[in-house]
Amino acid sequence: MTVLTSLMHAVWIAENDLRQSFKSVRHIVWSLLFPIFMLFTFSFRYGTSGPDVSFLNFLIPGVVGMTAMFGAITETMSIVWDKSLGVFDRILAAPVSSTAIVVGKTIAGAVMGVISALVLLVIGSVLFGVFFVNIGVVILLIVLASFSFTGIGTIISGLASEPREAMMLSNLLRFPMMFLGGVFFSIDAMPWPLPFVARALPLTYATEALRAVQTWDTFTILVDALVLLAFTVGTILIGSKILMRIMTR
Amino acid sequence: MEPLENAIEVKELTKSFGSLLAVNHVSFEVKRGEIFGLLGPNGAGKTTTIRMICGMLTPTSGTTVVAGFDVSKKPQEVKRRIGLVPDISNLFGELSARVNLEFVGKLYGLDKKTRRERINQVLDLFQLKERQNDLVKYYSKGMHRRLTIAAALIHQPEILIMDEPTSGLDAQTSRLVREIIVSLNEKEGRTVLLTTHQIDEADRLARRVGIIDRGHLIALNAPEQIKNGVESLHALEVKIRGDSEDPQKWVRIVSKAEGVEKAVLQEGKIRILSKDMSQIIPSVVNLVDKNGGKIENISVSQPTLEDAFINLTGKSIREEPLSKEDEVRRRIMRSGLR
Repeated sequence: MTVLTSLMHAVWIAENDLRQSFKSVRHIVWSLLFPIFMLFTFSFRYGTSGPDVSFLNFLIPGVVGMTAMFGAITETMSIVWDKSLGVFDRILAAPVSSTAIVVGKTIAGAVMGVISALVLLVIGSVLFGVFFVNIGVVILLIVLASFSFTGIGTIISGLASEPREAMMLSNLLRFPMMFLGGVFFSIDAMPWPLPFVARALPLTYATEALRAVQTWDTFTILVDALVLLAFTVGTILIGSKILMRIMTR
Repeated sequence: MEPLENAIEVKELTKSFGSLLAVNHVSFEVKRGEIFGLLGPNGAGKTTTIRMICGMLTPTSGTTVVAGFDVSKKPQEVKRRIGLVPDISNLFGELSARVNLEFVGKLYGLDKKTRRERINQVLDLFQLKERQNDLVKYYSKGMHRRLTIAAALIHQPEILIMDEPTSGLDAQTSRLVREIIVSLNEKEGRTVLLTTHQIDEADRLARRVGIIDRGHLIALNAPEQIKNGVESLHALEVKIRGDSEDPQKWVRIVSKAEGVEKAVLQEGKIRILSKDMSQIIPSVVNLVDKNGGKIENISVSQPTLEDAFINLTGKSIREEPLSKEDEVRRRIMRSGLR
């Protein structure tokens, strides 16, 4: 089987996954409604005086990073649902290499992360008038972050034996990450030892890098991008290893 | 190249999940162009065996050769030649029938034109054309099953593997599915391997049957030959009033009657196998009477494939609820599979 065929298989698997996700309530709620709700809730934290402009500049890049995380992880959870519904078998029974399956699922997760994040980026920019200095770099960072979250999602979905367990595990990871990843509060303001915890989470680097784009702090952008890349490679390698193993165990 | 005689060759196939031996050194062949039935109760290891043949589960030991290809070495070649109908209808509920079939066609490497032709063909064959654009989650169980079989045919496989093809279907849909299986075999010459826990289905469809119980293949022959093994036996069916409190009680009692080979409970009646009816009927009647029971109905019949199963395993294939051991087996295997 040529690399090209495998790649085509991967793209079709991803396309098929995304086609379903766009129709699924679970996805819309977790990948879009929840981040939008959080965005509005926190944007009004100053009560009657209305949204604080400088806080919005801080908040919106954070929420965009967080949305990439929710989108990508929710999408990768579909592996567990597919397995429990037996539809994973449909792909497993077809002449498709296991690498193509893993790559397809990874593409689906990353694309979902990117699309969700971009929706929030547009909402944030249009409604609150927050504009990004360099949209190209922002998109690159979102793509990179989405892949790293997909890797985490793949690991969870490889470890979970059924959907409820997967939801539990993913929330166990997403919620602390959301509050410790510097989305709503700066990690500099966190008491010891939380900043160290935050430094172990990819979301921290995603939000930090997205904010650094606003001030065009190229050093931070570069360092954070490299850390995200390391996270991506590491988690995807571990995740695909687990997936490959459980596929035909 | 000479056409191969065997479509599937299974040798000493074994799979264990932890300490449970789900499939225990099973060997059999499926000849080209035949319908082969793997018969056994729930949890016997049928699905596990099928998954190993299809290259979806790595066996603990043993080999499988499908269409001349070793499954462990050339899984893609094997998968290309097999159409699998799994025990659970597994199509994507959020997509329409046509989109589902499109996706499957792509995975099997069919080009756009072939895909369109084949999809129209199977939609016609399975009478799903009118509902082709509806989401599959709104389909009835029977339609779902038909579409699952349709999806397995899209790449025109030479070997069709069906796991419990009619399980859970109404009588009419079951009949339609059986007719389709026969026509795929007879008219199109496709080899069919099917599993079932319904004796009459195996008897009616399969040219040869393998009986599997608790991971062991305990018989392998044509249905008639297997029945011949119990030819010398007769079956007596007794319905006893008042047997509902402890159904097994009467089985224990009648088992004591002289000349009883096997006695099992089956759908509220006790089925007794014996060589000599003239001796056994009076002694069973006597025993029931002595223990305060009333015989509601009694009938003698020719031995069936089911009786062969009872004779081999000492239990009925339809036995529900499952014995504790079988229930544990089934649960471990299901969780191992998903």
